[in-house]
Amino acid sequence: MENFKEDSLMTDTANGVFTEATRRRALEALNVLSKEPEERFDRITRLAAQLLKTKSAAITLILDDRVFIKSRFGTTISDPTRKDSFSDFAVRTSEMLDVPNASLDLRFKENPLVTGESHIRFYAGYPLEAQDGQLIGTLCVFDTEPRILTEDEQSLLYELKLWVQSEMTAEEEIARAARVQRSLLPKQPLVLDGYEVAGGCAHVQIVGGDFYDWYSISEGEAFTLADVMGKGMAAAILAATVRAVLRAGSRDHSIIKAVEIASDILEGDLHSTSSFVTLFHARLDIASGGIRFVDAGHGLSIIYRADGSNVRLTSDNLPLGAGIQTTWEEHQTNLGPGDTLVSISDGVLDLFDGTIGGLHRVENIVRYSDSVQLAVNEIISLADHSASDDATILIIRRSE
Amino acid sequence: MKIHTKIVGDHVAVLKLEGKLNMVSAPKIRDEIHATVTAGNHKVAIDLTDVDFIDSSGLGALINGLKTARQAGGDLRIACPTAQVRMVLELTNIDRVLKAYENAESAFSD
Repeated sequence: MENFKEDSLMTDTANGVFTEATRRRALEALNVLSKEPEERFDRITRLAAQLLKTKSAAITLILDDRVFIKSRFGTTISDPTRKDSFSDFAVRTSEMLDVPNASLDLRFKENPLVTGESHIRFYAGYPLEAQDGQLIGTLCVFDTEPRILTEDEQSLLYELKLWVQSEMTAEEEIARAARVQRSLLPKQPLVLDGYEVAGGCAHVQIVGGDFYDWYSISEGEAFTLADVMGKGMAAAILAATVRAVLRAGSRDHSIIKAVEIASDILEGDLHSTSSFVTLFHARLDIASGGIRFVDAGHGLSIIYRADGSNVRLTSDNLPLGAGIQTTWEEHQTNLGPGDTLVSISDGVLDLFDGTIGGLHRVENIVRYSDSVQLAVNEIISLADHSASDDATILIIRRSE
Repeated sequence: MKIHTKIVGDHVAVLKLEGKLNMVSAPKIRDEIHATVTAGNHKVAIDLTDVDFIDSSGLGALINGLKTARQAGGDLRIACPTAQVRMVLELTNIDRVLKAYENAESAFSD
């Protein structure tokens, strides 16, 4: 056991070479190293102990020279050192470790977890595999009394360890989706002659249905802020679709035509998913500050004028997917020197008191921030701490 | 979310909702509206007196219900939205197609 470092530093497998560093990276990718208890894992340890009728169960992860107990049931054992752990043994042998009576087992009878207060007698644990086959920890059950696990119980424990693995992978999948979704947001910052532009987006779940976008078109620059109904993965898939159809329509068409095309294309998809999208879509003429916009039931865009006045950018149009739209309206306004256009999703209002009065709080932040990026950062940090809905903000300020 | 469904007239049903109209309760409401319309009551009045919160999913359930009712030759009307619900309806311009009535039971008396 003393030689565990040499033993496990490199393990040749059919898939490649795993090292301590690759294990750490695998654990980081799985996003399971948080110290906070997670119900999705606690549920499994609880069930494992109940089904296998043991006092305790745990999910352990091997990290450098410690064993991190990710989830525990019926035990207060603190994270053991790796060399004293049963988990490391199971991981190194790549097999289920079954110890009916540790005090009679030469491998463990001197182990502090056996001789000490924890008084472990029975232990059974399966190694947990990351997607690439790397072994990262165990699902184990243990008891202070000796015990023999039947074959049925062993298969039950195996099923439960597969469940732990799929929980871990689900998280990894969604983290990957989040990276893709983030990459669909514009790269910061946008450099436009005479303007400052910034945007930010905080999702309640790892992915979500809000997004903002900007890109160059023949007439200048196009901007979008949209909010797809709902939260999470379902909303995120639709958000990516909305972004794509709007971008495609914006290439060669007027703003009205671009929204009309998007609306027509999305209608069926939004109907079959019982969803809808609120949308603010604008075009800026860089030289004049002229703005043309279509607002599809979004209603949360406003210009804070340099002279202290405000103009809400509203319209009578319904959200995309409401199924009752007839014609789209194009509106015009302008951004004078020192004016700031802000578009937010309704999740931003929820950061304040949830009413339209939140627009005044946004105004204070926007007017008194030295740069639009700082204003965006302030709103997003509020959202990261307290959001109950996806929160997105887009700000365009014309220099004085 | 609690839903009390009552048939109040010829093909007219009142659904009185109680609680939050959000991502959790939206599917339940959508299904209830669908079942009500399928059972032949395609004039659906939604009583929102006791709904203190609606989010986009909740709004989606109402829009979906409106489409369902209209496809069946009926309509969906709402009554007594509270302040937050009214704000969401106004922001999204949905108030233009879902006008608020003062009383759910008489929403279809015209």
